[in-house]
Amino acid sequence: MAIDVQHLAKLARLRIEDDKLAKFEKDMESIVAMVEQLPEVTGDASGLDPEHPMKLREDVESTDKFTRNELLANAPKMQAGCVVVPKTVE
Amino acid sequence: MELYEYSAHELSAMLSEKKCSSEELTKSVLDRAAATDEKVGAYLTICGEEALKKAREVDEKRGKETLHPLAGIPIGIKDNISTKGLLTTCASKMLYNYVPPFDAFVMKKVNAADMVVTGKLNMDEFAMGSSTENSYFKKTHNPHNLDCVPGGSSGGSAAAVAAGSAVISLGSDTGGSIRMPAAYCGVVGLKPTYGSVSRYGLVAFASSLDQIGPLARNVRDAAMLYSVICGHDAMDATSQDRDYPDFTKLLNSDVKGLKIGIPEEYYGDGVDSSVKEAVMNTVRELEKKGAEIVNISLPSTKYALNAYYIISSAEASSNLARFDGVKYGYRAENFTDLTDMYEKTRSEGFGDEVKRRIMLGTFVLSSGFFDAYYKKAKLVALEIVKEFNAAFEKCDVIATPATPATAFKLGENIGDPTKMYAADICTVTVNIAGLPAISVPCGKVNEMPVGLQFIGKKFSEQTLLNAALAVEELNGEVRPVNC
Repeated sequence: MAIDVQHLAKLARLRIEDDKLAKFEKDMESIVAMVEQLPEVTGDASGLDPEHPMKLREDVESTDKFTRNELLANAPKMQAGCVVVPKTVE
Repeated sequence: MELYEYSAHELSAMLSEKKCSSEELTKSVLDRAAATDEKVGAYLTICGEEALKKAREVDEKRGKETLHPLAGIPIGIKDNISTKGLLTTCASKMLYNYVPPFDAFVMKKVNAADMVVTGKLNMDEFAMGSSTENSYFKKTHNPHNLDCVPGGSSGGSAAAVAAGSAVISLGSDTGGSIRMPAAYCGVVGLKPTYGSVSRYGLVAFASSLDQIGPLARNVRDAAMLYSVICGHDAMDATSQDRDYPDFTKLLNSDVKGLKIGIPEEYYGDGVDSSVKEAVMNTVRELEKKGAEIVNISLPSTKYALNAYYIISSAEASSNLARFDGVKYGYRAENFTDLTDMYEKTRSEGFGDEVKRRIMLGTFVLSSGFFDAYYKKAKLVALEIVKEFNAAFEKCDVIATPATPATAFKLGENIGDPTKMYAADICTVTVNIAGLPAISVPCGKVNEMPVGLQFIGKKFSEQTLLNAALAVEELNGEVRPVNC
């Protein structure tokens, strides 16, 4: 199957450089050709493990304490205690 | 013998009898890392000063208070496990400067046990790969043969333990990422039952498959570390609330009456005949000691790799959407608007394999393809679960090769993604079914280690550790490799 790599990249907010496009197309096509070998099975795949259900935690106040600076220390760009991003509203 | 050569359980006794100090031990391990890591490349970050400081603190406490058996023992941590104040890069340019403000659940446990963290270990970028060649920063080499890969994605965790630059380490396993490098590097690697170790603070790859586990030079050490990190955590909704025992207390290598299932599908054409032979010879040794061999069948195994790459990539494409250059990590320098910033950041920050997986995940989840790929893969997963359940009616553990061949050469598979993916053929079913499995060394083929994998029912880690201990007793405990 032909894979539209540029379209997938756009959906995933990626860009593939022109010189790498042919290699990506070839790789994606061989990967899809591999993974699509699946048998016809029918049924309901929900609840894979009813014996070990997930458990939601109690809705209680978190005891983890962080300062604003600790949490923002990794931000690539900061100004006046806020994360700086390009303009999002015209 | 130098201190770094001893195992964690030996060192635990030596420390408590004051035959050595944690500072001396930590120094020995750091010296070993300095002597070998230029060749092996297991570490991304070494925190020598902090490690020695912690070691001295533990030495200071010794005798004054009751310490955990692993107190003062050096440990290396895979670089996708969040360590407060210590760089956690996932071997990606995307997180080249990321310093977590919090500890993963397992790090809280490791720190509470007073273990000494020596540094962060190399891996495939975001744990996607089978050779550790996908690291943005460096290649890791197999200590048994520096021309070979250590396996992946926890390649640094396995190589460090094999080389002696770590006594013990933590890795993570989404489709074999602990067991496969453990097999390639000739060490023990345990992938615990899904839900027995909290994933809180593990940078997510495929959340329904990811699990943290120990790598060690012997089974007892792996049992000690697993006993530290398992347990319920409210911060992980998939964490199982149950009694987790001390797995070292009931360690027992007696295999009399143990029913070992042999699934023919794991001994097919895709598996190297000398690897099969090494595994089966070991199983026959166990039979001589009283184990019973049972032939079983797991027919959906042939679809497991395909289902695995669909499910894991689907989850990865969603999980990795968070890396957008806004709040942490890498951000591209020049951009025109927000979308341009996202696209440039992600294109420059992710390596090619990560991009392939994100695009595969995007593809299988996209409108028109979902039923043919993702839904079908989940149904195959259900079949795999059913077949395992039926198999465990007949046997206690399943024995298979951990990998279809021994470690391959660096560069050998990197150009062909599907060839690289095939290295996971023996391990992915376990993650799909959420089962525990262990890889234990069972001899060598052409000077390279072979791993035997035991797969068990959910929460049967004790049975797996005991069976692995029986294998270890046939071959003897592993010591660091000369490299």
